[in-house]
Amino acid sequence: MHGRVKVKSTAQQEEEKRKEREKKLKVYLAARDACFSKRKEGIWDEGALQVTQQLLSSNPDFGTLWNYRRETLMHLETVRDEDEVQKIYEAELSFLESCLKVNPKSYGSWHHRGWVSNRLPRPDWARELGLCDRCLSLDDRNFHCWDYRRVVVKMSGVPVDQELAFTDRLIGSNFSNYSSWHYRSTLLPLLHPESPEEPAPPPRRASSSPPPSPQSRSHRVCEEQLLKEYELVQNAFFTDPNDQSAWFYYRWLLGRAEREEIISCMFVSREEERVSVAFSRAVNSAGLLLVLDGQPQRVEWRSVHPRFKHSPVWICDLAPGTISDVTNEHNLTVHWMEKHTHRDCALYTGRTESWCRDSATDQELFRSDLSVEKTSVLQSELQSCNQLRELEPLNKWCLLTIILLMRALDPLGYEKETLAHFQTLEVSRAKTRPLDAEQEVGSLTSSFSFFLFSPSRQEVDSMRSAYYGDLCSKFMIENTILKMEYAEVRVFSISDKSLTTLCHLDQLLLVTHINLSSNQLHRLPPQFAMLQCLEVLEANNNSIENLEGVYHLPKLEEVLLKNNKISTLADLEPLASCPKLKRLDLRGNPVTQVANVEAELTALLPSVVDLLL
Amino acid sequence: QGTQVKDVIIKPEAPSTLQLDKHADYIAEYTLSEYLRMSGIYWGLTVMDLMGQLPRMNRQEIIDFIKACQHECGGLSASIGHDPHLLYTLSAVQILCLYDNVDALDVDKVVEYIKGLQQENGSFAGDKWGEIDTRFSFCAVATLALLGKMDSINVDKAVEFVLSCMNFDGGFGCRPGSESHAGQIYCCSGFLSLTGQLHQVNADLLGWWLCERQLPSGGLNGRPEKLPDVCYSWWVLASLKIIGRIHWIDKAKLRSFILACQDEETGGFADRPGDMVDPFHTLFGIAGLSLLGDEQIKPVNPVLCMPEDVLQRRDLQPDLLS
Repeated sequence: MHGRVKVKSTAQQEEEKRKEREKKLKVYLAARDACFSKRKEGIWDEGALQVTQQLLSSNPDFGTLWNYRRETLMHLETVRDEDEVQKIYEAELSFLESCLKVNPKSYGSWHHRGWVSNRLPRPDWARELGLCDRCLSLDDRNFHCWDYRRVVVKMSGVPVDQELAFTDRLIGSNFSNYSSWHYRSTLLPLLHPESPEEPAPPPRRASSSPPPSPQSRSHRVCEEQLLKEYELVQNAFFTDPNDQSAWFYYRWLLGRAEREEIISCMFVSREEERVSVAFSRAVNSAGLLLVLDGQPQRVEWRSVHPRFKHSPVWICDLAPGTISDVTNEHNLTVHWMEKHTHRDCALYTGRTESWCRDSATDQELFRSDLSVEKTSVLQSELQSCNQLRELEPLNKWCLLTIILLMRALDPLGYEKETLAHFQTLEVSRAKTRPLDAEQEVGSLTSSFSFFLFSPSRQEVDSMRSAYYGDLCSKFMIENTILKMEYAEVRVFSISDKSLTTLCHLDQLLLVTHINLSSNQLHRLPPQFAMLQCLEVLEANNNSIENLEGVYHLPKLEEVLLKNNKISTLADLEPLASCPKLKRLDLRGNPVTQVANVEAELTALLPSVVDLLL
Repeated sequence: QGTQVKDVIIKPEAPSTLQLDKHADYIAEYTLSEYLRMSGIYWGLTVMDLMGQLPRMNRQEIIDFIKACQHECGGLSASIGHDPHLLYTLSAVQILCLYDNVDALDVDKVVEYIKGLQQENGSFAGDKWGEIDTRFSFCAVATLALLGKMDSINVDKAVEFVLSCMNFDGGFGCRPGSESHAGQIYCCSGFLSLTGQLHQVNADLLGWWLCERQLPSGGLNGRPEKLPDVCYSWWVLASLKIIGRIHWIDKAKLRSFILACQDEETGGFADRPGDMVDPFHTLFGIAGLSLLGDEQIKPVNPVLCMPEDVLQRRDLQPDLLS
């Protein structure tokens, strides 16, 4: 079904082809009927092997026939002696090899080979490994063969370092060796685990979360080996800067260590009698326990938005009167039982609120603490990539990798360069608004003139400009969080940064003021409801049409949404859930043109006294 | 004068010679693909329904065919006389949902069949012969979700197995240790959506890998250094939609690639421009265009590759990341 070119041929050629196809079809139908009728009669002999053989060579995906063959083989096992069975199965392996020559990508053939190898009285794993070597030398991206190789390696105990050397050979001699790099990523953690003396993890119970896959975390490889891998990858992309696989692998090497699983922040408010908790990852509320002054509390945990059954932020309301008296001191503890961890928070007399948190810096959220060796390696990598960039200024892999290296080394220090590189990747994304139909003509003209007068700007990877926009937004948000912590304030200000998306909202639980003005946001997503302390929301001059996340924010008083794309009253419904909302600026939004808008809004949002339309 | 003769007018471009070879090709290909007939019917019917043309197909004949394909063990085969398998069990249930006639099957038996294929490590075999693949994890939960019987398997263990197939690049393969591939990624994303575990996906990392499938032609490939193929407009695009990153693809360029895969002579879509068409690529071309927002096509559900209105009828709205 794949890769069959439609060819026009002469009438005579067509006629010949037709005759051939008719003949083929007749043969097929006869053979198929023979197989089915034999099987119906319960015949499991060499004859059965013969009729199925004919069909399977050219139709290896005909699963039922492999089944019939297996039934026959299993039956023959019971009526022949061990030597005969060994011969029968070896003939089977021969037959399979011829099938695989014709179609090396049939699930049916490979599965059957694995099944046969498993049943062989005396399997020859060296031969199987040899088959894999030959098959991979013809096509080193054949994943069926790689998967079979992994089975052979496991069954015959081939040492990991031997397989690692195999990948070395393939990578050294071939381009397009993504499969080899992938295999490496699975072998390294086995051969060079992060800490061999690591204590055994606590026994996992049925309810606990699944362990992270060994392949997905580069930090599970010890640092010494990781640093060697940088050298290997660098050789690959210097030899061929367009070999994608090396760049993907490199990104994995640069990946940050897995976060410790903790309760990252706890916030208590006397006014709402509410406890808000942020976790290091999305969790389920089962297994959370709140203890107040030594007494476990019966509370109902809820996530910030009904959409989320798993969330990094959970809220619970205490019984009225429990902590409202400001003359009382209280001690609260949240237990995350599954992870055997907890967090305490003291609510002092005279204080209306209290919190306890680990900073993003301490958690190494956006930047790992690097050893001297690693810093030095990464710095020299950055130097090399910059050299490569001079030779290949249009290579987007190189540019993106430079950005990732700068993030790893010094996110704040390299902020300016990072932004400049993103601009190069995205062409003319910066400082432009998303287009609607009327603007498109205008922008075509302006981008034409842009090319006329800016000959140095060239298209690097415009197809993925939306990806780069979101990635840059993520990095700018990370930097803003770091700066906010450094300044020890609860104000998050990130205006005029071409933000296309919001993320890390779970880190903004304590923020009281947020300024997102003059960006390219389309919506405030449900996750925005994690900003439980928010009092002032400034988001003028965006393209916001959706306010789902402005939902049950108990302290929210002011919402500024001038010059956005809010078009219907329904879009504003979430705001009705914010009881303290006093001031709302909707000037420059299409909704202000809706009939009777002022009266409708007064009814929808009775707490709002200052409404700007 | 006299009565008008009832007749048609033959357009000049109409076929003027007997295209026997084309018919023979059609019949031959049809017969030779008998081993997957149930899926072939699902592809054909789904694309017809997406185009609002389902009534043109023979409902009763198809339902009778499906009934004849249910085996004693509860599983369904690709065709009459073939052996049951999870792949065709899913296709059959999907077809019956299109026709709102799920009770044509012994549902309890189907559930029993699927349950019996779950292994100790949570994985699913495709049939009693034991091939393990994350595709089958998807088939199992998709079938059970459509039947409203997800609680009959060990979901936690099933999730554990699928997550153990997550790779260094954020993608998924057939089995633990297998290379990432768009088809498997679709199955695993769909699986995690149906089991409410999408938060376990690294959406930013996987989304990047997926958007890098787009080639200069605008088409999508299935993994690095491979040719584009219209069916990846589905596997890749649906995966991106499930993880909330569909905007990372250049939609206009993809649309023009898909449209170029049409065959204006015969109808249908091929894997790439100039190749031979088939129902498989026709479905995924149309479904891809639907995901891209073409208003001439019914909205398609990215998890189950079925019209959204059919799923609304089953009260099934799988999670998507936003």
